Formats: sequence, C-alpha cells, structure tokens
Amino acid sequence: MSWRVLRLEGVGKDFTRADGGVAEVLRDVTLTVERGSFFTLLGPSGCGKSTLLNIVAGFEGATTGGASLDDKPVAGPGTDRTVIFQDVSNALFPWMNARENVEFGPKMARLGAGERKERADTYLRLVGLDADAGKFPFELSGGMKQRIQIARALANDPDILLMDEPFAALDAITKKHLQVEFRKIWSETGKTIFYITHDIFEALLLSTHLAVMTAGPKAGIKEVFQLDLAEPRSPSNPDFAAMYSRVETLIDEEVQRMRAR
Amino acid sequence: MNRRTVFWRTLSVAAALSLWWLSSGTLFNPILVPAPHKVAVHLWEMTADGEILFHAWASLRRVIVGYALGSVLGILTGVAVARIRIAEDMLEPPLQFVRNITPVAIIPLAVNAFGLEEPSKYFVIIYSTIIPVVFNTAAGVASTPQIRVRAAMCLGAGRWDIFARVVLPSAWPFILTGLRVALGFAFMGVVAAEMIAAESGVGYLIMQSRNMLLPEQMFSGLFLLGLIGLVTDRAFQFTIGRLMRRYMLQTAAFD
Repeated sequence: MSWRVLRLEGVGKDFTRADGGVAEVLRDVTLTVERGSFFTLLGPSGCGKSTLLNIVAGFEGATTGGASLDDKPVAGPGTDRTVIFQDVSNALFPWMNARENVEFGPKMARLGAGERKERADTYLRLVGLDADAGKFPFELSGGMKQRIQIARALANDPDILLMDEPFAALDAITKKHLQVEFRKIWSETGKTIFYITHDIFEALLLSTHLAVMTAGPKAGIKEVFQLDLAEPRSPSNPDFAAMYSRVETLIDEEVQRMRAR
Repeated sequence: MNRRTVFWRTLSVAAALSLWWLSSGTLFNPILVPAPHKVAVHLWEMTADGEILFHAWASLRRVIVGYALGSVLGILTGVAVARIRIAEDMLEPPLQFVRNITPVAIIPLAVNAFGLEEPSKYFVIIYSTIIPVVFNTAAGVASTPQIRVRAAMCLGAGRWDIFARVVLPSAWPFILTGLRVALGFAFMGVVAAEMIAAESGVGYLIMQSRNMLLPEQMFSGLFLLGLIGLVTDRAFQFTIGRLMRRYMLQTAAFD
C-alpha cells in the first residue's frame, strides 16, 4: 500500500469514568504525518498521548474525528501499522525464542519457512541480536528484548512504526545506545515513525517533527515543530540547546496550568 | 540433593516412624493402631499376592478415565466462560454455586443418579476435576496481557491465530496449575466414592479393613494412597517439564 500522509483530523476522545462521569481526554487533535518522517508526540504524563497512538493503531475508536492514511480511514489494527510497546515483557511471546518472535508476523502472512528464516536473519542482524536468536525473552535484558520487539515489527514490513515510549523503562546507558541505534535503523529502513515520549531530550535527538501537547483533560496540540537541527545531534550544539529550552518552556507552561486547576 | 538435605530428610522419616512405633501400644491400642513393622509385613504379603496391585489399578483406572474427561471438559468450559459472553452469563452462576459443594457430598447423589457401578465413580471424579480446571483456565485466559493480543493483531494474526497462538499459550501456566490441583482432587474423589459404594479400589480396601477389623490392611491402604499420589504428581510434573517447558518460562519455576 502506498500512501503519502497519515492524518489525524479533529480527534476527540471521551472515556466513561468508573463513577459514571465522562472524562474528556482529547479534544480536536489535528496532525499531519508525512511518509518517511520521524514524528514525535511530546507531552506531560497523562495527557492522552497513548490514547492518540491507540487510535492510530486502530485499537480504540475516536469519539469524534479520526485517523486516516491518505483518505482511507483507520478502522482497526492492520499490518501496515505496527506498535512497539514499552512493556516489552508482555508484548513479546515468552514461550518463543527471539527468532520465533521475529518470525511471527511472516508466519501470519503465511510466508514459507525459507523466507521467514531469511527475514528473521536480516532483522535480527539489523538490531545486533543474530547471535542470540535461540534465546528466550526471559534470558535477555530489557534492552535486548526491546531490540527483538523492533526486529519483530520490522520483519513484518509495516509502513509505520507506532512507538509508545519504547525506551522509557530502560536504564540510562542502554537507553542512550538504543536511541542512537534506532535513529540509524530509521534512516536505513526509511520507515515512518510515530513516536511518543515525555522526554524532551529524546524527542530532540530522534525526530524530524515534534508536536507538543497541552495538558489534559481536553488535551490538544500546543505547537508543532520541524526539527532541522545540525547533525550529528548533540545537546552541546547551540541549536539543540536553544530548541531544548524552547520546548521545556512550553512543557513547563502546561505543567503549571495543570497544577493551577 | 546434597548430603545435608539427605541427612535431614532421612531423619524426618525416621522420626515419624519412631513416633508411630512408640505410640502404638502406649498411646493407642496396639490392635487398633499396629506398629509400623507389622504394617510393613502385611503390606509385603498383600503385594506378593497381587491384592495391592488389583486395588491400586482399580482406583487408577477410574481416575484416568474421569480425570481425562474432566480435564477436557474443564478446559473447554473455562475457555468458553472467559471468551464468550453468553457462556459466562449462563455458566458463571451455577459454577460459583457448585464450587462450594465438596465432591464427597456429591457421592450419594452420584450413586442415586448413576448407580453403584463405574459411571457413578466417573461422575465423582469428573466433578472433582472440572471445578479447579474451569476456574484456573478462565483466569488464565482472562489474564492474557492485552498488549500481547494487540501486538499479535498488528502482526496480522486473525481471531483463531490470536486464540491458538497467543491466548492459549499465555494461559497454559494457569491451566496446568489447575490440572495439577485437579489430579489431587480426583484421587480424593475416587477414594471417597470407593469408601461409600464399591467392591474394589484403595478406598474400598480401607473401608473394608475397618469393617473387618484389619488395621494392618487399613494402614497398607493409606500408605498406598500416599504412594500413588506422590508418583502421579511426580509423573505429571515430569511430563509438563518435558512437553510444556517453553510455556512455563513466563512464570516462576513449576514445582
């Protein structure tokens, strides 16, 4: 399927609370994600970032508006959009070794054993785990498990990777390595990335586009940036530092607003 | 096992036997509660003439049939309760009610309904087996992590693949726990049923020895029960360890 843009148009989402009231999580979110871009959604905790990702993934429907690829509305989960979850221990299949996990998508596509193996080899190598193909998730560290999840997604050749704070639960050193490596993987594979984080540094390190969200309830988009930062990106670059403080100010405003309520 | 473990475990068995030996003839009437060596001699005689094997096999045969049927029915029912809304609405109330009725209490009903022969034993064993299997299966199926199902959906799995390749494997540790508990329940059920209405089996052996004042035989029956339970549980674990090991990786060791 060849599409050009992922559109979110006037997306609103209400949840029924346990006490029967209505929680208005998202209001009128409109975004355009170009094919091939690394689009990051940054916002304070609890602002509804994951809800938005779930709507793009097709796990949840929007209350108003919706997501579409070009003009085709998202009606449910599909192999063109693969989610990378933060909770990798539950996202992987613990009874399958690394290779079997990666081969799951190709298997569902009813590919033959030869091609499945080839794909698994390719993507396990891409994430640097070809030597650990026979290991089970419980034998691997959090970072390695996350690599497998990335390989598993790529082996299915989706158009978009939807990433829900994928590195947030990792230790600082592992996280840094994976961020750098993942940006390389993105530029090599040319996949479109829809990335969620509450980490400003991570957002500036990785993205081509950055949307800052307002605090919930009734969260929306505060501002969208195109990030043409000097490469290689580094916090010591002046443009990186300037952008950092600019985004930080926006986030601080939102946190203040949330507290004032 | 290291030497320390062997030492303390041997001591434990020796202490239990000594206590038994000392209490027979002091605390208890030695005719009603015979000393261990007398029981050992009797057990040997019963083994030699094949009586032990006859009764053990009678019980075991009933358990194999009832447990197999109860397990299959229990897994199917548990899956239905967890996955099908109508099944949950229809089966949950009777199951929640019936789970409080101990298998032993169901034996007179079983005899009334299915007679004195094998079918009433099967019924009691199926009943004993099915309850833990249903509830564990339902819990396992329901506790499948939502994101695992969602991950599979993203990877192109349809409804059947999600069930067979994601939900069921995620539930296996729960189901196997239920099956192991049920195996113990099945033996409790069959022994109780045999004590009330049977002409063979370990439960019959024990009840008959009481009625005919053969305490050595009673103790032999008890020993046999312990032994059969231990062996079948070990066999169960060994089989699971061999066949289902990869599904147990997601939880703590199965022991």
